Amino acid sequence: MGAAYHPTFAATALSFAVATGAYATSHSFFDSTVAPILEENCLVCHGGDNPQAGLDLQTEASILKGGKSGPGVVAGSPERSLVLAKVVSGVMPPTGVKLDKKSIETLREWVGQHIGRDARESLITEKDVLPVFLMRCVTCHGMRRQEGGLDLRTLDSRLKGGHSGPALVPRQPEESLLYQRVVAGEMPPPELLYANRVRPPSEDEVELLWQWIADGAQASPAEPEFDAENDPLVGPDDRQFWAFIPPKRPELPQVENAEQVRNSIDAFILARLEENGLAFSPEADRLTLLRRVYLDLTGMPPTPAQIQDYLNDKRGDAYERVVDRLLESREHGERWAQVWLDVAGYADSQGIKEADRIRPHAWRYRDYVIRSFADDRPYDLFLRQQIASDEMVDRSGLTEVTPEVVNTLAATGFLRLTPDATDSPSNASLQEKFDIIADELQVFGSAVLGLTVGCARCHDHKYDPIPQRDYYRLSAILQPAYNPYDWVDPTERLLDIGMEPQRVEARLHNEPIERKIRDVEAAHQAKADSLRASILEDRLGSLPASVQADLRQVRATPRKERTEVQRYLARHFKSVLTVTDDDLLKRFPEFENELTAMQKSVTQLQQTLRPVPRIRALYDVSREPPPAYLLQRGEASSIGARVQPGVPSVLRVGLEPFRPPLPGPNAHSTGLRLALARWVTQPNHPLTSRVIVNRLWAERFGRGIVATLANFGRTGERPSHPGLLDWLATELVQNGWSLKHIHRLMTTSAAYRQTSRPTAAVRAADPDNILISRMPMRRMRAEMLYDSVLRATGRLDPTPFGAPDDVEVRESGEVVPEGSEAGFRRAIYLLKRRKTPVTILELFDSPRMAPNCTERSTSTVAPQALQMRNGDLVRGHARYLAGRLMDEHPDDPRAQIDQLYLRILSRPPSAQEAGPALKDLDLLAMEWKGHLDTRNDPGPRASSARWLALGSLAHALVNSAEFLYVD
Amino acid sequence: MSIDRQRMSEGVQRRGSRGVVPTQGRLALNGARNGRSTRNSTAIRPGTRRDFFSRLGDGLHGAALAYLLGGDLFSANPSLASTVAGQRGTYDLQLRPPHFEPTAKAVIHLFQNGGPSQVDLFDPKPALKKHAGAEPPRDILNQIEFADQVGGLLPSPFRFERHGQSGIEISELLPHLAEVVDDIALIRSMHGEHFNHEPALYLLHSGRTIPGRPSLGSWVTYGLGTENQNLPGYVVLDDPKALPINGVQNWQSGWLPPVYQGTRFRSEGSPVLNLEPGEALPHSLMRAERSLLRRLDDAHRSKRPGSPELDARIASYELAARMQLAASDALDISQESEATQEMYGLNHERTHSYGKRCLMARRLVERGVRFVQVFIESQIWDAHSKLEGSLSYSCGKTDQPCAALVKDLKQRGLLDTTLVMWGGEFGRMPLAQVGRAAAAGRDHGPDGFTTWMAGGGVQGGLVHGATDEIGHKAAEDRVSVHDFHATLLHLLGMNFQDLVFERHGLSERLTDQFPARVVEEVLA
Repeated sequence: MGAAYHPTFAATALSFAVATGAYATSHSFFDSTVAPILEENCLVCHGGDNPQAGLDLQTEASILKGGKSGPGVVAGSPERSLVLAKVVSGVMPPTGVKLDKKSIETLREWVGQHIGRDARESLITEKDVLPVFLMRCVTCHGMRRQEGGLDLRTLDSRLKGGHSGPALVPRQPEESLLYQRVVAGEMPPPELLYANRVRPPSEDEVELLWQWIADGAQASPAEPEFDAENDPLVGPDDRQFWAFIPPKRPELPQVENAEQVRNSIDAFILARLEENGLAFSPEADRLTLLRRVYLDLTGMPPTPAQIQDYLNDKRGDAYERVVDRLLESREHGERWAQVWLDVAGYADSQGIKEADRIRPHAWRYRDYVIRSFADDRPYDLFLRQQIASDEMVDRSGLTEVTPEVVNTLAATGFLRLTPDATDSPSNASLQEKFDIIADELQVFGSAVLGLTVGCARCHDHKYDPIPQRDYYRLSAILQPAYNPYDWVDPTERLLDIGMEPQRVEARLHNEPIERKIRDVEAAHQAKADSLRASILEDRLGSLPASVQADLRQVRATPRKERTEVQRYLARHFKSVLTVTDDDLLKRFPEFENELTAMQKSVTQLQQTLRPVPRIRALYDVSREPPPAYLLQRGEASSIGARVQPGVPSVLRVGLEPFRPPLPGPNAHSTGLRLALARWVTQPNHPLTSRVIVNRLWAERFGRGIVATLANFGRTGERPSHPGLLDWLATELVQNGWSLKHIHRLMTTSAAYRQTSRPTAAVRAADPDNILISRMPMRRMRAEMLYDSVLRATGRLDPTPFGAPDDVEVRESGEVVPEGSEAGFRRAIYLLKRRKTPVTILELFDSPRMAPNCTERSTSTVAPQALQMRNGDLVRGHARYLAGRLMDEHPDDPRAQIDQLYLRILSRPPSAQEAGPALKDLDLLAMEWKGHLDTRNDPGPRASSARWLALGSLAHALVNSAEFLYVD
Repeated sequence: MSIDRQRMSEGVQRRGSRGVVPTQGRLALNGARNGRSTRNSTAIRPGTRRDFFSRLGDGLHGAALAYLLGGDLFSANPSLASTVAGQRGTYDLQLRPPHFEPTAKAVIHLFQNGGPSQVDLFDPKPALKKHAGAEPPRDILNQIEFADQVGGLLPSPFRFERHGQSGIEISELLPHLAEVVDDIALIRSMHGEHFNHEPALYLLHSGRTIPGRPSLGSWVTYGLGTENQNLPGYVVLDDPKALPINGVQNWQSGWLPPVYQGTRFRSEGSPVLNLEPGEALPHSLMRAERSLLRRLDDAHRSKRPGSPELDARIASYELAARMQLAASDALDISQESEATQEMYGLNHERTHSYGKRCLMARRLVERGVRFVQVFIESQIWDAHSKLEGSLSYSCGKTDQPCAALVKDLKQRGLLDTTLVMWGGEFGRMPLAQVGRAAAAGRDHGPDGFTTWMAGGGVQGGLVHGATDEIGHKAAEDRVSVHDFHATLLHLLGMNFQDLVFERHGLSERLTDQFPARVVEEVLA
């Protein structure tokens, strides 16, 4: 490699200042040229005693210091300067005339060439250089690893140094080991960069290190402690917004038609209806109601036998009995788990990267959620386990891993679901790690709190009183698990949960294979080493004999045991001593085949290994929380004030404060998430109970009481029935957070039993059904449609739980379930790979998780029709059903048609339907017969035609709007 | 009907007063759509679509079909439609007026996945010869993907020559593009934000380096609708050999309604998934099945008056049947003359596949499709090794078809109103990447790269911006991806600040909250 290329443009203003040591105080360029522009265009807002956003544009120093969004400019770098970005884009000034080109060029020239050359008013402190250490060094010199005994996280630990002595000599950068190694390009070590997901420091950063040491390695200036009582950013008025005050049990409203009230829900609904001169619409007929409640509570229609049972049950509470039975079913868990998995953002793969690696253990969390809904796990416990079950179970004391422990630990999969490709070094920049944390906070905020906390990542929330500081306080709770500066590979964030027999079995199976892998690798290694040695000998041959001997000695000495001199030699003769794979292959190209063959056989062997059961879990990596910082503009490289873990300051009224625990001596966890879990599940938390009952309501009534399900803040909608919302919220808490209690109340209410076919007058009076003057007719969710087709056609394999079922990606791009001899399991058990969503589910608005889905949309597009009409799976299912019915009711077309209607539409055909259906059957049979004749089909054509015709009829019914829409 | 509206509009005013929702009501895009973008009561017109359907009485007219056609889009449960939620409402592909008179009516985006090498194609750098083999500056090492495979500065092995009236320098690898150089504007100062494919693609296609946001075509059709209601407004022509990186996520609509998602038309076989049944069935049988279903649905609907979603549902089924004709016709290139086929390179194996898709793109735009994206197999521009062979292959496949598209549009008078955009997700490093054994290539370079635009109000024969001495970093007149997006919308007659979608209390934009500017220098 030739001489280093020194670009002329790399000389930054800062390095200029450093090189000349000139700290002149002349502000000439600024005063004469820049100040007038700013005065004319900016100082109206960014001047005076209380400048907007804390950004004072009056002096060079105040601009450098910046405001809430960080420094106004970065000396020497117009591109990274906020003020320039804003004026260039025209965002600033917000009103009036934009800056002309010439003024912008002047600003650019000032930032690029003058500022900093003219003045540098404050010393560089710890705060300024901390990002360099955090981004470039602490992976190897931090909490988990301290290479060379060196910890570079704090000023003290840097001064203390490692095996080679102090890393720093204040005021003497050239004497500081740290600076020497960095400027020489030895640290971070180039050969480890890729594997450790670290990039070397930029020129600016190296200069900054020099300057910081030259300035005396100053500590950060002191910062004020957070005091919730006297919070300058969030005041008492902010805390009086309705959604931030705990719900109070309201009085039941008085209604005129009290006989229409079946339970308390109805009182609230009816009162609003009566205010508007309305009453409940009549009750839906029995079978419509039955289909509605089956689909609602289990996600599938009733079977003919279940329909018959219900029709035979003449007791007054037959309907309530059905509700009770459905709530007890596992199908209920499978149906409602999907609602939660949407907001949790569940998927079986990593996303982001093209490879979209599968997360082999993610399904345990899915099963946990299904079990939770099926078993009516109290909602507060459900949340606590998902946020912090690892801190609730004392793992160190476990002697036996019971299924319950497994289930409980799997709950922490909740905050492990977002797209995450940081296992790939090239997708693991610091910014991307913070993106993961941001996604998890988005999930927590939208699913649990119903707040758009993510808005405060880059700046104070524009509408809700959530300062950026509070976003990072919340983020700090997750950082002991997701330490951005000491990242754990996501594929390694697993807890072994194999029980002893499984472990033994896996060990017995795996040991011989692992031995074989080691042998293959060792044999290869031995060959490579001998080739390497021959290359090395060739190289040494050109050196003086004495040097040769010394270098052989160096090479034979393990890295850690080398003397100072040997280390020096190793560094200086690196190019001689290091024989890279490339060198090897260049010299012995035939070796490449061997290498490939070896890698292939190792891969094959690895695939036969039996995995030990594991849970994809969240757990803290350390007992002490790592320091967390506010990131200006949300940028990982713009570290701001240090923040302590905490919750939004605005949520205080009537609540026990968030109490960070003191970690005990034996704790392996900070306990911060457990504190968060306890805080958020307080009985009178203003959001937790309201958000979940609202979600249950919206899922069946088509619209939330608060229409914006994941935004209870100021930009969200106000509740349409505030009393009902608070009544349901307090009812949930008073009944041990039992969601089934709420489901029961809702599905047995008079409001729910209304017909979905209102009179024209009702439609005119309440066109958008905000008053719940009827039940809305709703299209099935994607999974409901998929499952119902299987249930109706008899193709459903009811086997629950476990690893997801594989999907097939066809050449056409269509993604279909693979199925098995037993049929097809419910959609919730299909592999949810982000890059290959199952086509039929995707077409019917099953969301892509990025990171989660707080509300599904309902589209009606032609490709849905193409899928349902022309896709071979649906047609195949329909034919399967036709065949079964012909077996069960041979030569009885009328019975076959009755069964089709019962199974698919959950009702018998009416007299007006049965006749035409029989005719259709004959007509279709004739068409099919003609088709088979034309094809000269060798099979039994007449009976095949009858079967195919019945299949066509079944197919039409499955395609019908009556099947797809729930009355 | 006064329910909750009062409280709602209070919310709006609070926001309005902070100046966040721009120019309410002034623009069609911001006001007239059933209360989606804004929430003041005047913007909510729940009656419109309802009335429309109720006027139809029993039969669905052809007009209803036409109205609903395209990706046929009646979205959202109508019980939610046009309610206070603000985001709810009806979404369709009906024509909508732009903010101002546009210069471009349609867009063809020739996306070059992998990162075409600017210093070998568009941006000659003699300095690389001078410093050949020199060790690269530290700042380059700071952001390279394969930090362990860094070689010295690598001059381009290809010759550059001046072409056309404008005298713009183009590499010998692109002889056909050189012929139309006076019709294109080269932007040599593009810069991105990430050195890896997936995030860089997300950025280029959707404005941020993360998945889940609406793509360019989704924004455009959301803003403008489309001209031909028999075809989707946003069509994707992907390479039958392989999907690009990020696969179908490149044309997803994110949190915009699914009706704005790109529709994949395959260039081989049946153009749309399941356009026809898997088994060949006689027409009379299919007709019998269809009429049976139609009877069932009509009976169902007649008992549920005032349910526009059922009308839309029926229309979507009829539409599905009709799309078969429209799509098949649009993609039938046998209707093109031999000369045209030859011009696009259809008679040569090397250029056939890409040429066919470029020609299809022209036919679609001709029929009023708003936004067409042509993709190339996987990421053929990703020349990590064997630079010369790799670039010769990618250029050989695409150069003639791309140039033919510009010529063809021009000779048909369509270039004036059709914007053609060519470019990848980033460029490449001016230094060598030395991997195992194979000849050197170049690693990803997001800091400076070249794209070109033609037609639709873009000035031809123009070079905008410049990279630094070695072609690493955009140095003069830098154009960010966000600037690029703002410019695209501008050419179509839309302000990037005003094309918004309300979500989670934020006015979402294609450019998100990033600073952006229209690159006025490239406008004709």
